[in-house]
Amino acid sequence: MDFVTTAVMVDLDSGSDGGRVGVSRRRFVQAAGATGASVSLAGCGGGGGGGSSGPIQITMDAEWEGISDSVTQSLYDAGLDESIEIEILPGDFESGARRSEFTSALDAGRASPDIFMMDSGWTIPFIARGQLVNLSTELSSETIDYVQSSYLSSAVNTASDPESGDLFGLPLFPDYPVIHYRRDLVEEAGYDPDAENWATEPLSWQEFAEIAADVWEQNGGPDGDQIDYGFTTQADNYVGLACCTFNETMTSFGGAYFGDHENLFGPIGDRPITVTEEPVLDTIRMMRSFMQGPDAEYAHPDFPQISTTDLLSFTEEPAREPFTSGNAIFHRNWPYAIPLNLDSDAFDAEDYDVMPLPYGVESGAGEYEGTGGPAAALGGWHLTINPNTQQLSEAVQVLEAFANQEVMINNFSEGGYLPPDPSVTESVNPDEVGPLGEFLETLAVSGQNTVPRPVTVAWPDQSSQVSSEVSAAYQAEKSPEQAMSDLESSLNSIESDLAE
Amino acid sequence: MSTDMGSNGPDSLLARPLNWLETQSEEVYAYVLLMPAFALLAVVAFYPLIETFRFSLLADAVASADPFGEFTGIDNYLNLLSGDTTFTQQFISITTADSFPFVEFGAPFLQQAIFVTLAFAILSVFFETIIGFGQALVLDQDFYGRRWVRVAIIIPWAIPIVIQGMIFFLIFNPTIGFGSEFMQWLGVFGSNPLSSSSDSFLIVLVADIWKTTAFMALLILAGLQSIDRGLYDVAKVSGASPWQRFKYITLPLVAPALIVAMLFRTMDAMRIYGLIDATAGCETVPSLTCLVIIALQESRRWATASAVAFLTAVVISGFVVVYLLALRNNDGGVT
Repeated sequence: MDFVTTAVMVDLDSGSDGGRVGVSRRRFVQAAGATGASVSLAGCGGGGGGGSSGPIQITMDAEWEGISDSVTQSLYDAGLDESIEIEILPGDFESGARRSEFTSALDAGRASPDIFMMDSGWTIPFIARGQLVNLSTELSSETIDYVQSSYLSSAVNTASDPESGDLFGLPLFPDYPVIHYRRDLVEEAGYDPDAENWATEPLSWQEFAEIAADVWEQNGGPDGDQIDYGFTTQADNYVGLACCTFNETMTSFGGAYFGDHENLFGPIGDRPITVTEEPVLDTIRMMRSFMQGPDAEYAHPDFPQISTTDLLSFTEEPAREPFTSGNAIFHRNWPYAIPLNLDSDAFDAEDYDVMPLPYGVESGAGEYEGTGGPAAALGGWHLTINPNTQQLSEAVQVLEAFANQEVMINNFSEGGYLPPDPSVTESVNPDEVGPLGEFLETLAVSGQNTVPRPVTVAWPDQSSQVSSEVSAAYQAEKSPEQAMSDLESSLNSIESDLAE
Repeated sequence: MSTDMGSNGPDSLLARPLNWLETQSEEVYAYVLLMPAFALLAVVAFYPLIETFRFSLLADAVASADPFGEFTGIDNYLNLLSGDTTFTQQFISITTADSFPFVEFGAPFLQQAIFVTLAFAILSVFFETIIGFGQALVLDQDFYGRRWVRVAIIIPWAIPIVIQGMIFFLIFNPTIGFGSEFMQWLGVFGSNPLSSSSDSFLIVLVADIWKTTAFMALLILAGLQSIDRGLYDVAKVSGASPWQRFKYITLPLVAPALIVAMLFRTMDAMRIYGLIDATAGCETVPSLTCLVIIALQESRRWATASAVAFLTAVVISGFVVVYLLALRNNDGGVT
């Protein structure tokens, strides 16, 4: 019935009294067809632009884009041909979102951007898929030698093919956490960070927790309302728990996901899974005590309460905010928080300091190679080249220029990005590198004790298993033994699924 | 008008089909005219669905540049339906047991996307319909300040989803929110609601009801206002009680509008993602769409993500069919 109505409506326009006059069907179809065809052809006119000679595009983030003039100038000063134009694009600030962005760019074979700034935590899967340019065959041998002999080796490992050892990413800056603390409150409570060399000699978790509990107690403690937290860190069920906070604490107790650290990057399916061992369980128990006190279920009887269960929903920023606003005494975070804390309205810059992360057992006392002693999770970013770029040689020249000490110092002073070559950090003039300059000694100690996350093609799957099981144990939804045994079986099934 | 018929050039190519068209009935002509629209619909609606289905029959290839591996048939579906994927959150994970209640959950109830989504859709649509109906009945009355009440009811609907998510996130944020302490005092929530699946599920549910009840209220109000007022006068004269007036006049006449509104809301609720992402996160409250995002973006398992997406479409169309059956027997004009 509806169709008839439509036909009648058409006829009304031609003023008919019911009979069909005016435009014939063939006329109408011809005209409509021609209009449709021309509209769709017009739609194809755009696009298609873009040639092979434009600026070299590097997708970084908004912070880097903000200092792009100075970065570009330092590259030219380091000998980069000034005819090569550089454009720094602001990628998403959030690492996971940027990974998705790069995954789609590479899966779709897009030629732009020419250079990616990739998280050291997810570069290896791109290498394993053969989606990046092999720098070992492109960069000059001097640059390759410099990177492999002088750059932070744990950072280089996360930019190399685990099988061939070839370099696919140029480490741009490493990132490793420190403990930020309120020097004034600690000193008022009777401690002397200078005399005890807190800046360079890590405390044990036991000493650290007792100090934190004592200082907190003198400032009201868990039941008071003066200061909300003795210590804040990140314990939310998110990627940072698996890669970083749990990984580093467990490592400092002598525990590991996959036994010796030589297994961190594989071989998948042919390495032990060691998450059910005592050091790993102790790490969970200690965190339970930190949040709910030594008498809580599954808590470690030797550690006092220094925080609350709010930790369970803290990622980096929610954990930093209470500290910066004067509501926490100790705080674990990356160096990006240093300038923010120095600017705090709640305390003066001289009342603030940093120290390396504490350790669980002494260095070398861990059962597995690489474990025990202070451990700081290795974050940081690499520069990698898009294999679909139409300006490969220019992109390679840009990377060559980044492997330069003056460029590193410029990035350090302009943006607070640590040099990937630790000797540059040690030799730099503290007055020239901005707010981080005061804390170079501590950063150097942390840099010597970094632990990379076990990135393989299996890690994206394994990471969420680790964070959700650890989170369940932190919340006492499961006993530490149960959670880690569940984790062992899911890690095992992923390993056998993806065995090489 | 017809002098150019049969001339040379492109017209002669078209002459035969056009002559044929001239001889067809009105109905055939109408279909011919509709064909471009159908073709467009096929391209924008069915092609993606078919491609998604094709992808879902391939293997995941996490270690190669091409995200799809060899043809594996329904393996991805079997893994999803048996709770055997590599994700922490499963599509569904039930095994049979020997004793009552004869089924066991492989993963916790609220870590299984199908149950999260179904529970959310059923509960949210139920409460939104009841509350929305109540609001519509109030708005249907004449009273002083009715305009302001309308504005008040519609405000939540006008707030963007992510901002609304942030409101609820901040209410239950441990450092600045007031919601957690209050709910703990009531004994409803545990110590960290945004980390607990059941507490977060409630938060997302309440947030959605708060927002979309206004939508239901407006659609139902439109239905109410189309009812002939004279019917109520007749009913009053005949001595019908308010309940009888509601039961025999309001409800039957508003039913088509009500069911269409519920259909829209159910489809919307089954696709829930933004609100979860902005409050508790997909790890804590994994809906079906969340699972697609987890598979696609965190694991780069495109084939599995396609399978989840296709199953989601199947589940939603199952619900739509139920509604269409309900509508078939009235004059709602939808079927």
